Amino acid sequence: MLEAIDLSKMYGNHEALIDLNLTVRTGEVYCLLGQNGAGKTTTINLFLGLINPSRGKALINGKEVNINSDTNQMIAYIPEVVQLYGNMDGIENLNFFSRLSGHTYSKKELVELLEKAGLKKEDHTKKLSSYSKGMRQKVGIAIALSKNAQAIFMDEPTSGLDPKATDEFTTICKELVAEDKCIFMATHDIFNAVNVGSRIGIMNEGKLVHTADTSSINANELQELYLKTI
Amino acid sequence: MRIGIVLLIAKHFWTSVFKTRTIYLLMAIVGILLIYSVYSGTRYYDQNHFRSDHQEMARKSWEGNPDKHPHRMAHFGTFAFRTKHPLSQFDFGIESFTGNAVFLEAHKQNTVNFSEAGFSTGLLRFGELSMAMILQTILPLIIFFVGYSAIVSDREHGTLKLLLSQGASWKEILFGRSIGLAWIAILFSLPFLLITLWLLINDHHSSGDVWTRFFMISMTYLLFALILSLVTIFVSTGSKSSKNALVKLLGLWMLMTVLLPRSSQALGSYFYSTPTKLEFRSKIEAEVIQHGDSHNPNDPHYQALRDSVLAVHQVDDVTELPFNYGGFVMSVGEEISARIYNKHHNELLEQYRNQNKLNRWLAIVNPYLAVKNLSMALCGTDFESYVDFQLQAEIYRYELAQKMNELQIKHISPNRVSGSEGKTHVVSREEWKAFPDFEHQYLSIGRSLKNESISSISLMLWTFLAIGLIVRQSKIAKAI
Repeated sequence: MLEAIDLSKMYGNHEALIDLNLTVRTGEVYCLLGQNGAGKTTTINLFLGLINPSRGKALINGKEVNINSDTNQMIAYIPEVVQLYGNMDGIENLNFFSRLSGHTYSKKELVELLEKAGLKKEDHTKKLSSYSKGMRQKVGIAIALSKNAQAIFMDEPTSGLDPKATDEFTTICKELVAEDKCIFMATHDIFNAVNVGSRIGIMNEGKLVHTADTSSINANELQELYLKTI
Repeated sequence: MRIGIVLLIAKHFWTSVFKTRTIYLLMAIVGILLIYSVYSGTRYYDQNHFRSDHQEMARKSWEGNPDKHPHRMAHFGTFAFRTKHPLSQFDFGIESFTGNAVFLEAHKQNTVNFSEAGFSTGLLRFGELSMAMILQTILPLIIFFVGYSAIVSDREHGTLKLLLSQGASWKEILFGRSIGLAWIAILFSLPFLLITLWLLINDHHSSGDVWTRFFMISMTYLLFALILSLVTIFVSTGSKSSKNALVKLLGLWMLMTVLLPRSSQALGSYFYSTPTKLEFRSKIEAEVIQHGDSHNPNDPHYQALRDSVLAVHQVDDVTELPFNYGGFVMSVGEEISARIYNKHHNELLEQYRNQNKLNRWLAIVNPYLAVKNLSMALCGTDFESYVDFQLQAEIYRYELAQKMNELQIKHISPNRVSGSEGKTHVVSREEWKAFPDFEHQYLSIGRSLKNESISSISLMLWTFLAIGLIVRQSKIAKAI
């Protein structure tokens, strides 16, 4: 589904990403761990086609990603802080973003999508400016769901979420994976990575230095490995 | 570029703006300004009744003269009043600073008097609140204020990445936001244009020419709104923060509406200086005296003229001529003084035109100037319309003076022994009635547009340039 082949990105003389090689298959959650500036967000930006690689390539379903490609149709993106438009409610935001991706839904369908993302019905018509971070995150998930994308990129989705919201988020991720979608997640949250992830990669200074299968490592071991790496 | 997505983004921007309270506050402020500008425009235009009444009174006074010596009538003179164009309700232009009535008499080209500025405090120098003025200076501020963060705030909030990842292209986002902003700008402009239309419909003087002008004015302001919207989105996209974008746009507004127009005026006056009124009059006076004084029988020029006339007609005295020699001298004198005046006046106008030319060329870099110039020209309140009135008044004055001279030449004779009501050297009052009244004609739309061809080209160029800037920006813009 997702493939990075020698994927590299330079900003001037700074190497933000160096020869990244990885594959994420359908039904997998790939969690990328690393400090700030390790290259996680750069990797996501390359897959989103927001920037062009300096070397190598990013492939989605075998199709090379670049600024002009239409691979965006196959993916969805949930940023770290889902701001959206604060003066509009959940339904209006979802309606706009889903129509932007070429999907038009009835109000009933929009409500269903928001409910599926875990947003309570009474919150659907409240202005987004009154939402908590977790509630906004759910609208972000509903937007991803509305697109029916095969791959979902998440940039530090649980940062700032309370434990309950994190748990709800984890549940939704598992449901998405069960629907044969793949998730590529950049995160600092080691425990959540072990909990939700299928595979984990640890990045340091632009390089992918370790990969591990979550079935073969627990949170403490991962934390130890992570601390050793950075 | 998918039109459906562009319109979706435009509609979303519109909805998003109307979800804020600020837009309603802006609408209320503009509404108050609109009411005041309409009131002041209609009040201003109402002066036409006053002017036509006075034109009528001047005519009655002219026709009410009894049988008289025509030269006395030439000095009795009359008034020419400048009629306000129906569209002057929309754009006052320079009318408040130019006069609107001129006394017409023989031998003398009086200045056009009774300008509003002459009867006002210095506050008028800050500009009047016309509908055009609001659209030219306040509307850009509104567009900048509503649109400065249109793109940059999405980047600041990370929403831009989401928009792009949803499949919208940069071009669709930028054009969508530009159209959304232009819709808002048009919403603000529309009441001004509709009220002007309503005023024109209710004005009995509105002809086909007026409707064409109104259509072109509407197009001018709609293009201006589009250009400003595109420029706002361009600046918003290229800025690092919302604050940065707002500062840039406010700077642009100051440059556009204050600094560049003032600089062009200052440069114009510096490069093409004009004489003071006293210098101008003195020069003409000196040259007329050099050519001879038609009222002085001992003037060498006119003595020579008399000798040549006597020689041609083979008589010894002017009283033996088959026409009135005094009238003939006045006619020649009028022709000479008018020629001298016109020469100096044309030189002066040329200097003013050179000053204006600088302003017009600056319109190439400043769409505000282009709109301002075009709007004044189409509303008949620009400098050229004023000059045209001056020209019409001078032609009328010259014809009146020469007609009186002609009547003197034909009908007044020193050899006459009897005349009307016991007066020997008089002409029938019917002659006064036979001379047509002054009727101010507006400058034709063709000439107005020709005068402002640079401004029209500038607006077209700015439209293409602004679209080009957005296309260019869509290729180099960054979401992060």
